[in-house]
Amino acid sequence: MLNFLKLLLTPEFFFSILRISAPILFATLGAIIVEKAGFCNIGLEGIMMFSALAGSMVSYYTGSWLLGLLGALLMGTLLGFVMGFFAFQLKTDITLVGIAVNMMGSGGTLFLCKVITNLTEGKAMASTTGLITSGLCIPNITIPLISKIPFLGGVLSGHSLLTYLAFLICGLTSVILYKTSLGLNIRAVGENPNAASSVGVSVLKIKYVAIMYSGLMAGFGGAFMSMSYAQGWSQDMVAGRGFIALAAQAMGSGECLGGMLSSLVFGFAQALGIKFSAIGLDSNLASPIPYAVTIIGLVIFALSRRSRDKKQRLTAKK
Amino acid sequence: MPEGKAAAADEEYVVQMKGITKVYPNGVAANQKVDFCLRKGEIHALMGENGAGKSTLMKMLFGLEQPTEGEIMIRGEKVSLSSPSVAIAHGIGMVHQHFMLVPSLTVAENMVLGMAPRKSGLFLDHAKAVEITKQYAEKYNLHVEPEAKVMDIPVGMKQKVEILKALVRGAQILILDEPTAVLTTQETAELFKELIHLKEQGYTIVFISHKLNEIMQITDRLTIMRGGRSMGVYNTCDVTMEEISRLMVGRDVVLNVQKDKAVPTDTVLRVRGLEYVNEWNKKMLDRVSFDVRKGEILGVAGVEGNGQKELVDALFHFNTPSAGTAAVNGVSILGLSQQRIRELGVSLVPEDRMLFGIAGAASIEENVLSDRSADKRFNRGPLFNMKAIHAESDRLIEEYAVLCKSRRQHVSMLSGGNIQKVVVAREFSNDPVLILADQPTRGIDVGATEFIRKKLVELSRSGIAVLLVSADLNEVMELSDSLIVMHNGKIAAYFEDTAALTDDVMGEYMLGLKEQSADEIGRVCHD
Amino acid sequence: MTKRRQVVFTLVRGAVAILIALLVATVLIFVSADGAGFSEKLAATGEALRQMLAGPLFRLSKTGASFDLKRLTDIFAAMIPIIFTGLSVCIMFSANQFNLGAEGGIMLGAFVTAMIAIYVPMAAGLHPVAAVLIGSLSVAVMMLLPALLKTRLGVSEMVCSLMLNYIVMYLIKFLLNTYLADKTKGQIQSYEFLKTSLIAPMIDTGAKLSWGFLVALAAVVLCGLFMYRTRWGYAIRMIGINQAFSRYSGMKVSLVIVMSQVVGGFLAGMGGGIEMLGRYNTFSWSSLPGYGWTGITIAILAGNNCYAVPLAAFFMAYLSKGCDLMATYAKVPSQLIDIIQGVIFLFFAAEQFLSHYRQKLVVKSAQEELARKKLENADKKEGGAANA
Repeated sequence: MLNFLKLLLTPEFFFSILRISAPILFATLGAIIVEKAGFCNIGLEGIMMFSALAGSMVSYYTGSWLLGLLGALLMGTLLGFVMGFFAFQLKTDITLVGIAVNMMGSGGTLFLCKVITNLTEGKAMASTTGLITSGLCIPNITIPLISKIPFLGGVLSGHSLLTYLAFLICGLTSVILYKTSLGLNIRAVGENPNAASSVGVSVLKIKYVAIMYSGLMAGFGGAFMSMSYAQGWSQDMVAGRGFIALAAQAMGSGECLGGMLSSLVFGFAQALGIKFSAIGLDSNLASPIPYAVTIIGLVIFALSRRSRDKKQRLTAKK
Repeated sequence: MPEGKAAAADEEYVVQMKGITKVYPNGVAANQKVDFCLRKGEIHALMGENGAGKSTLMKMLFGLEQPTEGEIMIRGEKVSLSSPSVAIAHGIGMVHQHFMLVPSLTVAENMVLGMAPRKSGLFLDHAKAVEITKQYAEKYNLHVEPEAKVMDIPVGMKQKVEILKALVRGAQILILDEPTAVLTTQETAELFKELIHLKEQGYTIVFISHKLNEIMQITDRLTIMRGGRSMGVYNTCDVTMEEISRLMVGRDVVLNVQKDKAVPTDTVLRVRGLEYVNEWNKKMLDRVSFDVRKGEILGVAGVEGNGQKELVDALFHFNTPSAGTAAVNGVSILGLSQQRIRELGVSLVPEDRMLFGIAGAASIEENVLSDRSADKRFNRGPLFNMKAIHAESDRLIEEYAVLCKSRRQHVSMLSGGNIQKVVVAREFSNDPVLILADQPTRGIDVGATEFIRKKLVELSRSGIAVLLVSADLNEVMELSDSLIVMHNGKIAAYFEDTAALTDDVMGEYMLGLKEQSADEIGRVCHD
Repeated sequence: MTKRRQVVFTLVRGAVAILIALLVATVLIFVSADGAGFSEKLAATGEALRQMLAGPLFRLSKTGASFDLKRLTDIFAAMIPIIFTGLSVCIMFSANQFNLGAEGGIMLGAFVTAMIAIYVPMAAGLHPVAAVLIGSLSVAVMMLLPALLKTRLGVSEMVCSLMLNYIVMYLIKFLLNTYLADKTKGQIQSYEFLKTSLIAPMIDTGAKLSWGFLVALAAVVLCGLFMYRTRWGYAIRMIGINQAFSRYSGMKVSLVIVMSQVVGGFLAGMGGGIEMLGRYNTFSWSSLPGYGWTGITIAILAGNNCYAVPLAAFFMAYLSKGCDLMATYAKVPSQLIDIIQGVIFLFFAAEQFLSHYRQKLVVKSAQEELARKKLENADKKEGGAANA
């Protein structure tokens, strides 16, 4: 047992927490923005799948990881727009639109991969793993001074560019929401669309902006998966992170800081699972941990909110 | 009756609405040839009961609706107010009864929403927003806290924010829709001080209300509306509250309902000391006690907003009273599940029929089945006895004269009157001991209205107790055998026999001019 | 609008949705087709489409097409699991519960059934029945979690059920890998099912169409009866249409919401069990099979109507087979079916889709109604005048 704890208290372990949390954090930010605008995007999973593929493909064919990243971002934003079109103009229930995107995601990405790369199916599923070299992945950054700090250096330095971006954009999203007039409009539309439209704010435009931003975030998340977390795209690599993001948004009370902390919790759960399998525990026993933690987290959150509401009602009556 | 000495030369008017008629597509005439004029710098009251047409008239002034006939002139110029933005451009601002505020944003943020000041391009200039808010707050003497979140501030301050919102967008003419409905006495006094201050600065204010004492306090002139028409314009100082009451509350045509005299027997519903405080900490029910007996229709009259809705909600567990008891045939019903309440023999014809009364996307048959789907009559083992269900639906459709293509037709396809008939067909037919009827004939055609009223009398005479809540004066006066008048959450009067009741007397109690003694009111409790 | 017009409108809308999906598919096929030049690719696309649209039922050759019974039975066999998941989702969606756990449910049902089939010997007729029933019950119990969390704590049943899918999958994989795998075999699979537990094939066409197909059809009828002819199905539907109305009418809303998900779970589990014993000899599913998502599409196509599920299932199985054939003969990856599914889904569920057309129909109906009434009045007047 003690040995196991020793395994945990290493800089590698905390490094891996940050690394694993980053894509979840991106998706969570997407979930947070649309929730602020008054709806829910369950298609983040599917968008991440498509973006992961797009990033990997574009980087392979252009030979540049930067263009690959941009490809992923473009794909994500575009998908967000299409979702918005179906949900806001054609009035498909946004939950169903999300389900449709996820449905198309799993098989659709495999289809596109096979078609574009002409890798045929055999026993092995097509993937781009064979194609992608490390040069086509998003580079890791060693921060000059920090990397020298004992323990912390190992934790904070050497991460992928996107890992740092994830936490930076988390702060950026918070700034957007609370310090810009766009954020003001988003929050107004989400809470009281009548009030917003009564002062001339276009509810439709704001909702489009929100869903496209969430697509952009999912684009970052997807790019992270195929160009940093793993080397290349393979089917089902997103593995439910888009759904975990929904739970992280709820557990974080819909705020960026809370979302970040929740993402770290899930990152921790997953990192723990990986460590379990490192000491011999079947990975299949470790893999469900983040999903189980999600359910437990939602329950705890619901219970705490229930008791808080009760307290509020009691004090209000006095 | 002093006629409008209040008319004056055209040039003095900042707003003139001439011959305004508004007929909705479904045929309802909300306004008929109404004239309404505002002088610059006056506080003008627009009075009338709910449904009298005053809200509709002001909606047209704010561009939310367009008149079917008539014209509107602002400062002598004919205008077409096609949308709120156009109205705002002409200097008209409206403070709605239900606030258009975003709860989690601060006061300053709500103020500048849609016209937010920016610094360095993208960022919201918070400091400027606060500054603007403070500026306007000081200028107009409307004290608000710019940095406080709207959800944390009291209702009175929320209203000030709404007023400031209108002012900061350049309103010179302010329309306030029932502003004191949500305020405490103290907040009301503060509001009045501010309104007078605004008036002194040259602003024109329209004050929609039916609270007589307030109108007398601060208004210069008043226009009374009844049944979609204007009953005249008067200088406030020239009329008494009784005269206003007589003009506001009255029936142009008195309905005569044929019914045998009631012979009430045992008490079915017994309510004692019922109290309810709403989410804004306003006491909506204040020590309400009454009985409803077998074989009688007890009416609940009053201007809407005086606790009638909260009373019905409490009896059917849509809210939780803070004190008091209510029992049906000796069994307490407060806090019971709606299923249990029904099992005790209580039926409810709800005020919001589309939300609670029906499932629009379901058939007529499915709608009348909803409270009896587990009944032995309609089930053979695990399966429905479709024959029995069909027979019941057909019987009810025929008995209640529901005009439809078949029992399979979706309820939402029916006309309003027929939808209500489906609701009452269900609520009246399950052998209730007590029927709660909340605005049972609101917004439906004459034929259906007559039918439902006849049915109510029929059921009452067969021994069922009926509590009838209605804002329709004819309905509540002619249909009820006895009635109570509610004002400010209290019972203001009890009339054992409605036959001798006059409109004028009703008006006085409904508008709070008079209140019976505790003894007189106490006679509604029959123990 | 008349009932007939409404039906026509729905059919037209559905057909257009399918056409758009096929159009998208054609473009994608074209992109992926073999061939150097435009005309070669076009020919390849044509061939692929032929395979997809006619292949599932007909054996295609240069000269023509001949009906192939085996292919028909293949489609029927493929319909079995998705009829069950389709029914499961129909019931859960009818109560307005977006429980997406049919995916994990069918896997769990299959697994539990397989365990009973391997390790609990029983008499021949009893064995499959008991195994499938226990499998179904296990999933019914599993659905209690999202259902109760929703009614007691307001936790999203959607997120909860999605998480459960993954948890179930990994736990089953763990059990299979660690304890239950037949180590002698190359791939990960369980030991063989006892002969007494297998469900016999219905027709000997080599398609492995078991009697389970009849059970599936029976389930359709039972579910239809449940939804439209019992008080519980009635309550589920009313609660889905208007929950406030249902509570006000005295229905036990929380209980019914839980019931809808438990029944949905039972059906998904049954689908897994029957699929296992009807088609396989061992349990070898190493990931979620995808039948749950297809079930959602079927529920959307069927408009949540249980009786329409077999039709929708046939359609999806047909398309799926078509894509498989395209993969074999025209080298188009079979995953095209996911994209087609998604596009159909999107347009089918779009309320405003073709709304202008619907508006025209409504206006037309109203005008006809008015004209008819005018004629009636005119007749009456004439009649009166004639009598005067």
